[in-house]
Amino acid sequence: MSRIREVAYYAGLWLIALIFFAPIAWIVMSSFKTRTDILAVPPKFLFSPTLENYEALFSRSEIFVQIGNSILLSLGAVIIAVVVSFLAAFCFSRFRPKGTDFLMFLLLSIRMLPGPAVILPVFLMYVGFGWKDSHLWLMLFYAMFSIPFSVWILKGFLDGVSTRFDETGRVNGGSWAHIIFKVVMPQVRPGLIAAFIFNLIFVWNEYLFNFIIGGVNTQNIPYALMVGTYADGGVAWTFIATMTSLYLVVPVVFIYLFQKYLLVGMTFGTVRGEV
Amino acid sequence: MAEIIIEHVTKTFGAFTAVDDIDMTFEDGEVACLLGPSGCGKTTLMRMLSGLETPTKGRVIFGGRDVTRLPPRKRNVGMVFQYPVMYPTLSVFENLELPMRYDRSVARDERRRRVDEILDVLDIRHLSKAFIEELDAGTRQKVAVGRAVVRQSEIVLFDEPTTNVEVNAKLQLIRAFKTVTSRLKQTIVYVTHDQTEAMTLADRIALMRSGRIVQYDRPQVLYGEPTTEFGGWFLGNPGMNFVPATVSGGTISAPILARPLPAPGDLRGDRIAVGIRPELVRMAGIAGPDSVPAKLVDQAIGIAGRYLTKAAIGDTVVKVNTKGRPPAKLGETVHLSVPRERLMLFADGDRVPARFS
Repeated sequence: MSRIREVAYYAGLWLIALIFFAPIAWIVMSSFKTRTDILAVPPKFLFSPTLENYEALFSRSEIFVQIGNSILLSLGAVIIAVVVSFLAAFCFSRFRPKGTDFLMFLLLSIRMLPGPAVILPVFLMYVGFGWKDSHLWLMLFYAMFSIPFSVWILKGFLDGVSTRFDETGRVNGGSWAHIIFKVVMPQVRPGLIAAFIFNLIFVWNEYLFNFIIGGVNTQNIPYALMVGTYADGGVAWTFIATMTSLYLVVPVVFIYLFQKYLLVGMTFGTVRGEV
Repeated sequence: MAEIIIEHVTKTFGAFTAVDDIDMTFEDGEVACLLGPSGCGKTTLMRMLSGLETPTKGRVIFGGRDVTRLPPRKRNVGMVFQYPVMYPTLSVFENLELPMRYDRSVARDERRRRVDEILDVLDIRHLSKAFIEELDAGTRQKVAVGRAVVRQSEIVLFDEPTTNVEVNAKLQLIRAFKTVTSRLKQTIVYVTHDQTEAMTLADRIALMRSGRIVQYDRPQVLYGEPTTEFGGWFLGNPGMNFVPATVSGGTISAPILARPLPAPGDLRGDRIAVGIRPELVRMAGIAGPDSVPAKLVDQAIGIAGRYLTKAAIGDTVVKVNTKGRPPAKLGETVHLSVPRERLMLFADGDRVPARFS
């Protein structure tokens, strides 16, 4: 009886997993199909794969810039965010400046409204200061958006590191820099990874602000997908399929490697699990 | 020379005063214990010496150098905490050596020599290659002690280092402290709430209460001649008896006294008490000269063949620490007498200097 139940559970789980996986499988499969095969009804599961779509994709010169931009912007923004957030979280956790709780709340407030709600002031500011279409300023904008979450996650982790470590280090002759980077930082590595991966996904997927405050030089993959969707008087299915397949690689790899840290990120570090 | 001068130091946390205008000196090369109940400010005082806290008022001077505003690493102190914190991925030897590696003034050979010496002093040479994770709490604490003294800073601070160590290891650890402190001529301040530890280790003990130093003296003096009721009560196991007394016509009478005592001329105070240590009260089965009858109300077996008992004289309960079994059963009558020359007189909690015969 229990054996049957077990099999039923697994069958159910596999079914659900496959349903969720289906769109991804479809898009990746489509990237190897011709346009006719993609639109065939009923869908073709057996087809002769072709690399034509990829060749077509890579013959567009701007595609390399766009992929490069995506990597540069997300890595740059996330690294800046994690460094700044770690130091800020250390300060909040250890020195507890006046109004720490309120500041922490205030920090999060930027994430309480959807991005589009702040787009107009941000746009006007970027135009006013001439920051539009600049890698640095776009990176800093993404960093700003990533910092609040990271501070919350990292503060949770830092609060979990006893001040005994700081104090022992300090009386034994360690400078603050030594304490922060050599004594405390290694102990919050899971938090750093969680902040890193969580923000990387956010910036990697970001379209709206890239479209509004970015420009020709800073176009990323979501922008390319959006703009390239319609071509030749119809939906450019082959382009969408190939671009998306490439686009998926980075998050899939990172999430596969660091999946246990994702939960930590989503719960502000309050649920540690196995991490 | 590194005597520690604490000059009118006060530390407040909001409305709470943890250390209240303490003014004292720890002599160079001396082992001083800060002893007191939890929350009396001893740890706060210690943290101000190490630099982990800054005094609200007053100055801290190490060997003529004002260190009040200096960060811990500029004070040249070693410190051992309640919980030993070490690098788990480094061996004992490396852990001992590490702080000196960041101090450019110590050459490599000198570092090795010092670590070697400490390994011998603490008797942990066989563990020099072991990793911290393999050691029990007591041994880790030993290593922490080694790390605190190996830099040869002039001052070493101990913050209740035996609290989290089990009893057997605790004795070993105290022995190790003793060896270390006698071998090295460092000025040592040791915080504890354990009187036995303080009595064993200290050259002088500073008894603290509510952020103030109650008495600062050699252990024997602190035990034998407390200046306050608190001191008499806190030291000793059990603490001193304080029997309420009444003064009239130049004499003091108390339930424990068969004959009244002559009152000193300058005796003032609303609450007069006669103090006597429980081990000095004599308990007998039959009445003797100067004895008073009492009822045995409680008894428990103490250490070294002693019994901790309580006897009631009317409403007054007196703790008595007897040699051997008490001479009567619970509820029966015993006879108590006290050596008059060992009686102490307290007025409103403070000792009144007076000798009786």
